[in-house]
Amino acid sequence: MISFTVNGRPAAVAVPDAKPLLDTLRDDLGLTGAKECCGKGECGSCTVLMDGEPVCACLVFTAQARGVEIITVEGIGGGPEQLDPIQAAFVAEGAAQCGYCTPGFIVAARALLDKNPHPTAAEIRRGLAGNLCRCTGYQKILQAVAKAAEGRAD
Amino acid sequence: MRSIDERRSSDGFQWVGRRVPRLDGPEKVTGRTKYMTDLHFANAAYGRVLRAAHPHAIIRRIEVSRARALPGVICVLTAADIPGLNGFGIIIQDQPVLAREKVRMTGDAVALVAAESEELAEQALALIEVDYEPLPAVTEPLQALAPGAPPVHEGGNLLQRTTLCRGDVARAFAEADAVVEGTFETPRQMHAFIETEGGWARLEPDGSLTIWCPAQAAYRDRLQVARILGWNPNRIRIISSPLGGGFGGKDELTVQHYLALLALHTGGRPVKLHYKREESVVAGIKRHPFRVEAWLGANRDGTITALQARIVVDKGAYASLGPAVLNLAVEHIAGPYKVEHVAVEGLLVYTNNGTNGAFRGFGVPQTCFALESLVEMAAERLGIDPLALRKQNVVRRGEVDGAGHRIESSVAVWECLDAVERSSLWEGRAEWVAAAPAGKLRGYGVACGVHGVGLGKGVPDFANAAVELTAEGRFRLLVAPQEIGQGNGTIYAQMAAEVLGCAPDEIEVVQGDTGQVPDGGTVTASRGTYAGGMATVNAAKKMATLLGQGAPPPLRAEGYFILPQAAGALPGIIGAPHHVCGYAAQAVLLEVDALTGETRVERVVSAIDCGRVINPTGLEGQSEGGVVMGVGFALCEDTLMEGGLHRTRNLTTYILPTTCETPAIETIAVESCEETGPFGAKGIGEVVMVPVVAAIPNAIARATGRVFRLPATPERVWAAMRKEAQQP
Repeated sequence: MISFTVNGRPAAVAVPDAKPLLDTLRDDLGLTGAKECCGKGECGSCTVLMDGEPVCACLVFTAQARGVEIITVEGIGGGPEQLDPIQAAFVAEGAAQCGYCTPGFIVAARALLDKNPHPTAAEIRRGLAGNLCRCTGYQKILQAVAKAAEGRAD
Repeated sequence: MRSIDERRSSDGFQWVGRRVPRLDGPEKVTGRTKYMTDLHFANAAYGRVLRAAHPHAIIRRIEVSRARALPGVICVLTAADIPGLNGFGIIIQDQPVLAREKVRMTGDAVALVAAESEELAEQALALIEVDYEPLPAVTEPLQALAPGAPPVHEGGNLLQRTTLCRGDVARAFAEADAVVEGTFETPRQMHAFIETEGGWARLEPDGSLTIWCPAQAAYRDRLQVARILGWNPNRIRIISSPLGGGFGGKDELTVQHYLALLALHTGGRPVKLHYKREESVVAGIKRHPFRVEAWLGANRDGTITALQARIVVDKGAYASLGPAVLNLAVEHIAGPYKVEHVAVEGLLVYTNNGTNGAFRGFGVPQTCFALESLVEMAAERLGIDPLALRKQNVVRRGEVDGAGHRIESSVAVWECLDAVERSSLWEGRAEWVAAAPAGKLRGYGVACGVHGVGLGKGVPDFANAAVELTAEGRFRLLVAPQEIGQGNGTIYAQMAAEVLGCAPDEIEVVQGDTGQVPDGGTVTASRGTYAGGMATVNAAKKMATLLGQGAPPPLRAEGYFILPQAAGALPGIIGAPHHVCGYAAQAVLLEVDALTGETRVERVVSAIDCGRVINPTGLEGQSEGGVVMGVGFALCEDTLMEGGLHRTRNLTTYILPTTCETPAIETIAVESCEETGPFGAKGIGEVVMVPVVAAIPNAIARATGRVFRLPATPERVWAAMRKEAQQP
């Protein structure tokens, strides 16, 4: 068994050590927010936090998560009725289109703002440069994260 | 100029034109949305597809007994196991479901496996023995047309020739004050939807089949799958929405047919297929690479008089929507200009370079690059301002465009160019260029474009929708076009709410499920808002009538819309002309590194003739996303192939723009009001990425030297820069 914490709750899974953490989250724990797009750590769609650090879950062996605290998009905010400010800003700005990359962006943006609550525009761009989106052209994503950082509620 | 939002406050609509937040937003930002590839069923079987080992080869023998004998393998299927037609393709069914005698690309499927786990399915693939006799790979379209070239298909390598001829180009060129020419080449762009192809299928206890698969045309997919199975389509239900991106890449069948075949052999167990990116790259369609050799003639007074072009298209191995792509490219090659003398020949040529098909823009970005480069070159030659030259030549309502089609619908391309001219980007362009720091070269560029809405002349094109009022008193809107990212579910709800007098979030919108929604056609061809919207409005109006009569719930009202067709025709070009078109003008500021040839797009202004705006946030989302897809096409994206093999295999070497490359984009809505559309709206999902692909090379030309091949990689820009520097 491999034990760790996911979104504040203890989890124990009986999977091969080398099973990608992404597959364990999706197949064994039913957390399908993180997505596979490239499987090579290139797109950021599978971004989760490991002890607060954003990682591509497709590149992490499940065994590496032993004893670690994992946060996925499902653990950010209190669900659709109680959105995290970043999630609320994404909705208000229209920063999610097809939405398949959105969980990765939300997690990466949360990690960015946790470390740097008042980033410059250039810092937001660099902080999200590991995440690919094919729908939005990024402008509304950058605006949403800036808005969340400024604490604007509109 | 007043903003979209200011104008909206005085037009009397409650929901149309407002920034209604997406109804699916909260679900998407919390990761709760279940895409088809997120579904999980108990007792599942896992499928895999065996791909061809060669780009072009005869199959001598396929031996599956060792694979079938592997413990944990549920079934191994080959062409012999297909009950119906072993072929698919939206227009011509020239692509085998499973190759029997020959493979024509490395993406060809040869066998299918279902097993207890993905690992076992993978092991089984390795046990299938295929004996090939390799043939020479056909990789250059021009060589493919030469006598004696190996035929990809029995009928030879020329799949289609489309021509357009009007006026007298020879005389027009002889009389023109300036003739410019060039040969323009474009990349094999990848859709790069974030969700790769995948899904599930299950044979139900009643003998019907359910397929869950992200797709852009569920009813047509159902027809194609039924043909392959030899079934009545009514026995098949396809659930196709939402998609994790499509852009045309999920318009053709992707995995539906493989899922269906496997589900017939798994004893009622649900079966899953989900491509890894590498398989998606090899098997999936791409944008057709074009080679456009073209000449443009113009007079000293600025009138564009003549256009001649020869288009050679790398079709790849199978037709898919290629014939329609070539036809639209020919229809729109003269852009929105009133060119009187036009001669175009387009050739669609089979090769072994994977396969190509529908992709946002549908052949038009490729020809726009050629045309708008030539327009810029002509302006330079004549010493006329490039924007003024365009304004002088663009078509207005009632006038005849370059294809010979009299425009009898809304057109505001002149107004789009005018909006660009008045933008702060354009007004400040000279100052910005002059302020280039040391080691940088700066330029600005502009272009305009047109893109048809709907499937065009002679192609059946309609949409249906239904509005229900449930016994509990809740509205449900049932509409076919899938939620592919553009937010059509929200704008359908806005339109229905406007008619019904309720709020958009009081309407449950059901999309893309053949078991629930009436056939509404595809979510392609810039038709979602226009066609799905009109069907929605018509259904909602009928519901409003029922309610006005005091009818008690439950109630159901159905509405339909048949897309109006152009009065004229372009003989020999199926699908042309289009009665309704979207137009756009876009300008860019771009900087080139004088040492390395690296480029950076600083700012873009995107003026769009969209009819009436239904949701400004949605319009901006399309505009911004389209612009950045165009930036990728122009500057960095290409799927490289060599000898019929993919050198680009994943996003590690397929370079997409990121947050660091995206420019600041200003979207200007030019509202022309299309009277045949819902509340005056028309479709713009494709035209938003058209002009920018030419505005960028035009900016590069102004900064350094002209590029004739996209993407304009640093190497190509550097070469253009050197060539320019060596000219006397």
